[in-house]
Amino acid sequence: MHAIVLWVSVILVLILSAIFLSVIRSSTGSASAESVGKTANTIRLLSFWGALVFGAALLYITLRPWPHALPPSDDAITVTVIGSQWSFEVDTETVPTGKPIVFALTSTDVNHGVGLYDENYVLLNQAQSMPGYTNRFEYTFDKPGTYRLLCLEYCGLGHHEMAGELTVTSSTASAELGRK
Amino acid sequence: MARQATMPSDLGPRVVMALSGLVFVLLMLFGLLMRASQAGMIPVDPALFYQLMTAHGIGMVGTCGFAGAGIMWYFARQYVPVTNGIFWGFTGLFLVGVVLILAAIFLMGFAAAWTFLYPLPAQSGGVWDVNAAVVYLVGLLLVGVAFLILYLDMGWAILKSQGGLGQALAWPTLFSGSTNAPPPTIVATTVVTIVNTIALVPGAAIILISIVNALVPSFGIDALLAKNMIFFFGHVFINAAIYMAIIAVYEIVPRYTGRPWKTTRWFALAWNATIILVMFVYTHHLFQDVVMPAWMLVMGQVFSYLSGFPILIVTTVGLLSNIYGAKVRWDLPLALLTLGVFGWAAGVIPAVIDGIISVNKVMHNTMWVPGHFHFYLLLGLVPMAFGFMLWVTKTKQADALDGLSKILFWAYVAGGLGVVWTFLVGGAASVPRRWAEHLPQWQGVDAVSTIFSVLVVVAALYFLIRYVVGFGGQPSKSEPAE
Repeated sequence: MHAIVLWVSVILVLILSAIFLSVIRSSTGSASAESVGKTANTIRLLSFWGALVFGAALLYITLRPWPHALPPSDDAITVTVIGSQWSFEVDTETVPTGKPIVFALTSTDVNHGVGLYDENYVLLNQAQSMPGYTNRFEYTFDKPGTYRLLCLEYCGLGHHEMAGELTVTSSTASAELGRK
Repeated sequence: MARQATMPSDLGPRVVMALSGLVFVLLMLFGLLMRASQAGMIPVDPALFYQLMTAHGIGMVGTCGFAGAGIMWYFARQYVPVTNGIFWGFTGLFLVGVVLILAAIFLMGFAAAWTFLYPLPAQSGGVWDVNAAVVYLVGLLLVGVAFLILYLDMGWAILKSQGGLGQALAWPTLFSGSTNAPPPTIVATTVVTIVNTIALVPGAAIILISIVNALVPSFGIDALLAKNMIFFFGHVFINAAIYMAIIAVYEIVPRYTGRPWKTTRWFALAWNATIILVMFVYTHHLFQDVVMPAWMLVMGQVFSYLSGFPILIVTTVGLLSNIYGAKVRWDLPLALLTLGVFGWAAGVIPAVIDGIISVNKVMHNTMWVPGHFHFYLLLGLVPMAFGFMLWVTKTKQADALDGLSKILFWAYVAGGLGVVWTFLVGGAASVPRRWAEHLPQWQGVDAVSTIFSVLVVVAALYFLIRYVVGFGGQPSKSEPAE
């Protein structure tokens, strides 16, 4: 996702830059204002309708399924994370792979954000942790390891030090542990 | 539309632009320090880092609005009977607010970021006193009141001279194709006056509530409602700042090309649509507040996409068609204005992408966010402001873009693109925003960003010096193309 987002942006900005540079190169020459105006009207019209059609398609594709959807509670394990300046209290230390984990976030003081990071510090999902509310997001781990919860909403002096940890074990190991 | 026979002096906006240019450069230096600190190149204590961050954020947002107001007022006074005294009152009150804000940050240690998310101002974790929060918020309130007074005078002048809001918004052109439309400056000014006046009300309300909360902690407000109010106000305000600055493009570019920029039906449609679009888009800041009603989050995604396009398309296509084949003789002001439209248009791309909820889940509050807004501020609004400043003080016939001005223009372009793309690359690498200290694996990109920031500061300083040196000059092409 991250790389795609970056490359799409790079390509679109390059296209826009090429359009600007091409027009700027032509700006010192001579062209009839009337004919330029007619072309501009056509471009304007195509841009408006093109943007609308593309936008409708984008909306349909990106909102189905609903990005904040949660799994049925019977299938999921809930991990509660409570933020306070400047630490996270996580009620579960270990969760298995392959099972939906619902992170339930709240705060005792100010707004915080909980970003779920993998071992390479890649952001996997997030939601806000705020006083008076419980925000939830879901993530299903497919690899065991030590994952991190980092604060993603500025909350004061210790913001950058506000972190928690979560150990993810393979579901096979967890099942064996359960049998023992 | 006829211009006014007599109009107020332009000294007010010239002073405002001088102050804005100075503050832009100073705050760019703060940005440079923060990036150098994140890169591990210089030691900056986290407490000072967050003070610099707060000053950089509120200072840039406020100064973008301040500079935008200077540009808008400079041109609007040519068409509508605005009051000179009100503009000076706006400037004075704004500066008093700035002094209080700076005192709260650098003398009293306030560092709740420019967004002052409730209840952080009053709950600092023991870092700053509630008095610091009160002084900051009172300063911010004065800045808001200053803008409100300016817009009320502007609104009154528009109503008096245009015969109603409908005429000022070019409704006859929009709905019945009338060719008797107000100039683009008036349409844009009217839109900005409407949306910012509306936005300033909840903005002032949440500031007042935060002040009372700081003094009387038992008096509180729902944190989610507070967040809605802050982002509604903040989003509209910074967008309106860009809309005000764009007026420089509408007014100045035609004087170089000889092709008038008229209020067409498309133009009227785009700007009228913006009144609605810009006010409903703010919920894209709340995508990760999952408890928000789903329809509001969907609205945020829909309007995030839609709000960028109308005036962006009419402005970008309008600019490009205005300069295409127009035998343009490029100089620094025109180059900066064109860069400003490019930066604004390009910045919308990463912004719209981040406005998709599923993307936002892995990009929100990473460096991607400063990446996109620096695109349309550092490479958009700020060059528009400097372009206006260098045009307004230009005493000679257009001299070509060459020598030092060419070098420093391209230094600004390269530096700005470097700053923006290093932010975006950081965002794509999941680097959190607003962190005083960075992990070693993030610091390489920070170091590159620091170098590009130096280029930006040097070039901006050159633009400012050119403006100050030519302060008393008059634009050589003062008459618009008819």
